[in-house]
Amino acid sequence: MATSFTRIRDKVREGEPLSLEDGVALFEHPNLLDVGALANEVRERLHGGRTYFNRNLHINATNVCEASCRFCSFARLEEGKPGAYTMSHAEAWSKLQARLDAKDPITEIHIVNGLHPGLPFEYYTELLAGLKRLQPSIHLKAFTAVELHYYAKKYGMTYAEVISKLHAAGMDSIPGGGAEIFAARVRKKICDDKCTGDEWLEVHRTAHKLGLRSNCTMLYGTIETIEERVDHMLQLRALQDETGGFQTFIPLAFHPDNNALMKLPGPTGVEDLRTYAVARLLLHNIPHIKAYWIMLGVKTAQTALWFGADDLDGTVQEERIYHMAGAETPQVMRPAEIVRIIQNAGRTPVERDTLYNVVAEGDALVSDKPFRRDVRRSLEVVT
Amino acid sequence: MSADSTISQDAAVTVPPAEDLFSLARRANAARDAALGRRGTFTRSRRLLATGAWRGPRDAVLSYVETADLAALGGWAAAREAGATALVGADVAALREAGAVGARLIAHLPFRSGESETDRLARLRALAAARLPLWGVIPTPEGEPYGLDTLRFTALCRLELPGVAHVIADVEALGPRLAQMSLGFGADELLAQIMSERALRLGDNANTTVLTRGEAITLIKGAGLAPAERLANDQLEEHV
Repeated sequence: MATSFTRIRDKVREGEPLSLEDGVALFEHPNLLDVGALANEVRERLHGGRTYFNRNLHINATNVCEASCRFCSFARLEEGKPGAYTMSHAEAWSKLQARLDAKDPITEIHIVNGLHPGLPFEYYTELLAGLKRLQPSIHLKAFTAVELHYYAKKYGMTYAEVISKLHAAGMDSIPGGGAEIFAARVRKKICDDKCTGDEWLEVHRTAHKLGLRSNCTMLYGTIETIEERVDHMLQLRALQDETGGFQTFIPLAFHPDNNALMKLPGPTGVEDLRTYAVARLLLHNIPHIKAYWIMLGVKTAQTALWFGADDLDGTVQEERIYHMAGAETPQVMRPAEIVRIIQNAGRTPVERDTLYNVVAEGDALVSDKPFRRDVRRSLEVVT
Repeated sequence: MSADSTISQDAAVTVPPAEDLFSLARRANAARDAALGRRGTFTRSRRLLATGAWRGPRDAVLSYVETADLAALGGWAAAREAGATALVGADVAALREAGAVGARLIAHLPFRSGESETDRLARLRALAAARLPLWGVIPTPEGEPYGLDTLRFTALCRLELPGVAHVIADVEALGPRLAQMSLGFGADELLAQIMSERALRLGDNANTTVLTRGEAITLIKGAGLAPAERLANDQLEEHV
């Protein structure tokens, strides 16, 4: 009788979707290299060595947030609390203007905010419209499903109305944040006062039906079980079967600093790689798996490019959410640095736009030279 | 210093890996398992600094000095007088000299992003040919320690240095994530400041690489190895 792993490998090679039991078995398989190599097989079948990144900018316009998610280090409950901020429109727009002035072009702005109880809906529509006025070609990937659900409740609209109005104001697609873990047991303990897993999925279903693309995520490493992780991914896969609107799955490692769950250890590097690999194997119908370098760290993100991931996200700049949770990564990487990291991994860099259209590849991409220290130790005296 | 082992300053990217990553890792792990079993060890260590002060827990079982600090301390004899029992570094002449008078020797093996695997292999083979009585080697990234560079080099150390028992992942240099991954690429030992307790990673302490015993055990178990702590008399205490 075939072992569990052999049976799973056969299913993967025959294109058969994996089950909940298969996913759990992959998480529990003792040899990470077996799981990684199989995920890499799928990754290379889909993308060869091509590895994607984009030039983007993050704007977190406010961290004032009614929700009190226990894993969050970013949010402040009220305006006026230490560390709370809300950008004026001019302040938010200046982030893009600075890039335009510096002739440092970007193709995407990623906008994620707290659930601010005091802002009118027009704050968000004007935020988007102003950015589009500055650069009409910019792609605005804006507002998680959690925010969109909150706006629907707060401003008395349906999901479709909220999404349509924001789309009319300039929103082009939806980021994948806020999914956390769909299991009600976990949500009750770590993020009780925001939308449910079903509501998160319904927002994305609505967006897809309206013709917008979106990403999806999973927060791992808090209190969820392996079964709950696999179940989360299978729910995403089921929606993708229905709509085909997801572009990228992004596993998000829990960062245990400066939040109410800081006594938890957080995921280890091996757990990161395994989660990426299992995601690639379970989510056969979602084209891309992103190793978000801001959150994983450059070293782990680069390694994940051989464990199922085919995307490193972008240049980012001004990421606040993970840095307030203790992320040690820089807040920005230049395109040439990203190209070098990808090449150094033996992969082929491709600059993309948000919708995975190719912006530049091959000789059009410039690689940095490696950073060097002034002092180096040496082994040359061996001889 | 031999010219042919000098790293090119103009190299922009690493030559694409010659051997498939997974095949290389499997061979390295098999070599480790054949030599040591599927065991991952950690050692509570402390370092004698150039100032003469110690960094690390007082009851550490590995008391070491870096070759770079020897001159300031007055040489190996003075460091041994101060309580050091091991010498760690990339200065092979110093290692060789101190080894003759009873130091446990651990070599830093530097590598950098941008050099070719051929260069790395040449250096490792030169070290193997020197037959230095090394207890262990520490893959030591210079400049940017990219993940795959580190993991491949760790595996090469295991495969090319069969006379060296231990390939050591330095938690301070690599960070806990990459150090743990190294255990899946032929490494067998974590080098870290292991304290009984550590403060929460907050404020100035946010980026600490200090581990507790429990964290070291978790990292080793998570890498699929059986954790064991190295004790003062070089006995191993298994943590099932």
